[in-house]
Amino acid sequence: MTPPPAMSVAAMMRPPVEVPDSPVNRDLLAVMGRPTLLYWLLLLFLVVFVHAVGAVWVFQVYKGLGIAGYKHPVFWGVYIVTFVFWVGIAHAGTLISAILYLFRSKWRNAINRSAEAMTVFAVLTAAQFLGIHVGRIWKSYFILPYPNQRGLWVNFKSPLVWDTFAISTYATISILFLFVGLIPDIAIARDRSTGWRRLLYTALSFGWVGTAKQWKSFNRAVLHLSGLATPLVLSVHSVVSWDFAMSIVPTWHSTIFAPYFVAGAIFSGFAMVLTVMIPVRRIFALEAYITEYHLENMARFILLTSLIVGYAYGMEFFMAWYSGSEFERSAWWYRAFGDYWVSAWVMISCNSIFPNILWFKWARTNVTILFIVSVLVNVGMWFERYVIIVIGLSHEFNPDVWNHYMPSVPEMLILAGSFAFFAMFFVIFIKLFPVVAIAEVKELVIHEKAHHGGGAVAHGETH
Amino acid sequence: MPTLVGVFSQAGPVATLARRLRDRGFGDLEVYSPVPAVELDGALDEKPSRVRLWTLIGGLTGVVTGFLMTIWMSYDWPIVVGGKPLASIPPYVVIAFELTILFGGVLTVLGFFWVGGLPYGKFGKPDATYSTRFSAEDFGLVVRCSDRDVAEVDGLFRAHEAKEVTLVEA
Repeated sequence: MTPPPAMSVAAMMRPPVEVPDSPVNRDLLAVMGRPTLLYWLLLLFLVVFVHAVGAVWVFQVYKGLGIAGYKHPVFWGVYIVTFVFWVGIAHAGTLISAILYLFRSKWRNAINRSAEAMTVFAVLTAAQFLGIHVGRIWKSYFILPYPNQRGLWVNFKSPLVWDTFAISTYATISILFLFVGLIPDIAIARDRSTGWRRLLYTALSFGWVGTAKQWKSFNRAVLHLSGLATPLVLSVHSVVSWDFAMSIVPTWHSTIFAPYFVAGAIFSGFAMVLTVMIPVRRIFALEAYITEYHLENMARFILLTSLIVGYAYGMEFFMAWYSGSEFERSAWWYRAFGDYWVSAWVMISCNSIFPNILWFKWARTNVTILFIVSVLVNVGMWFERYVIIVIGLSHEFNPDVWNHYMPSVPEMLILAGSFAFFAMFFVIFIKLFPVVAIAEVKELVIHEKAHHGGGAVAHGETH
Repeated sequence: MPTLVGVFSQAGPVATLARRLRDRGFGDLEVYSPVPAVELDGALDEKPSRVRLWTLIGGLTGVVTGFLMTIWMSYDWPIVVGGKPLASIPPYVVIAFELTILFGGVLTVLGFFWVGGLPYGKFGKPDATYSTRFSAEDFGLVVRCSDRDVAEVDGLFRAHEAKEVTLVEA
């Protein structure tokens, strides 16, 4: 081949070709578009509500934990119940992102980002309750092993210390996981935005342009984070369950607790993802990306974990009878037919009876039914923790100290506030960052294009 | 030095072409991809990513820290709990496990930044060869070569399903 002269090389220069943007970018970045009045009103309501509940908490700090409904011997109440509830919610994100990633389930791509974001916000919400529960918030750092003048260290044999390590590790890893996954999508948003958004995304994308070197280390890092997060997600709720199971309280002291809590956490987490994503999908017209196929797979997971949780409920009652332990039998009878029978039956019906409708395909593909079931599961799972914690403590070994706990108004307000706190972060997130993982959804679209040819790609068929 | 940018709609041809160009001695290559395509992982560098080493070091540091910290602190404040030995390994496994994950994860992310060369470029000023279509649906292959090779590279691009070939720098 004859080398062309230098002149002709310069003559080959052409201006860059203007090409239309990817439809996936366009549709998914549209979610971050100019907020409507309704959005601002919702955000305003959430922010005001969170602050109002914050004032209730300040009042509690001022008056002391006496304003909560604690009665001897029940000193773990709504705050710990809600803590366990939110930690449970936090499990869906990592399960979808890490475990389904390792199993190469392509259907996770449409929902992993929102689930990861929910994980982070749920862990943050849960972490608030540790501070709220201890009452003297200014001493909560005592749980950390830090060098101090008294020369003492924390008790590493206590499950509460394990829990501190588990929750803080989980919070850190889930934030890192969410952020690493966001970088390519932030770069997509950076290329298509102006003003303060461009500045923000330029800073947060760290100059990502998607070179081979960047993607290679990205793929490897995501693989390793998934590998690390998979045992982590199983360990976190196991450790939370040991907060109870390491004690000798009847109904708590049981080896079934760790797997039972993990299944329950995944169950409630998936339900929360559905509760949040069904309205989001409707409002932002994401039906082409989060399809019935995705919702149906979520429903299958909910059904599976519901069965595991139901099995655990049945097995707990069976073991109480079969063990022959008087205390266990009495505690379990009290759980089902005692003062708190309503909570126990709300738990059983919401978690083990209603979800059985998902055996039917028509129910799994009906968005309204899915939404109702997911809300019921959330309610049921909150009650599950209430049942375990409160009933267990009110009916221990000594009949002289049996007592009946009722949540007080401040506790219920703070519980309601936790939902607003969680929702506030999600509502802000949805307008700032892509709520569906754009690059990963696009990978499926490009893959489809290669195998079916032409530009006519049904974006919905991304499984 | 002339810089050629080829635009492709699939990752496969980019990986093949990148390998061919490297075989022919073109060392100054860059690949842009809009998606995490695994085909491209070996396009410019066949060796497994060094992020592996970071994760390993992080994880090992975590497990060692977890056991050393708990055991040392138990002896530094020797108080017997529940009649158990001061250094009770089973409960400390939980701490060591969590720190393995924590250190391993943090080092993995740092490794991702270090090995991936992030932060990349000048703040807010992308490379001349980068275009927003590489964050849309197109793949790009950038070759810097001498004037005499331009025609050859251009021919190779077109033989590997390039949609467009642009010369951005003469």
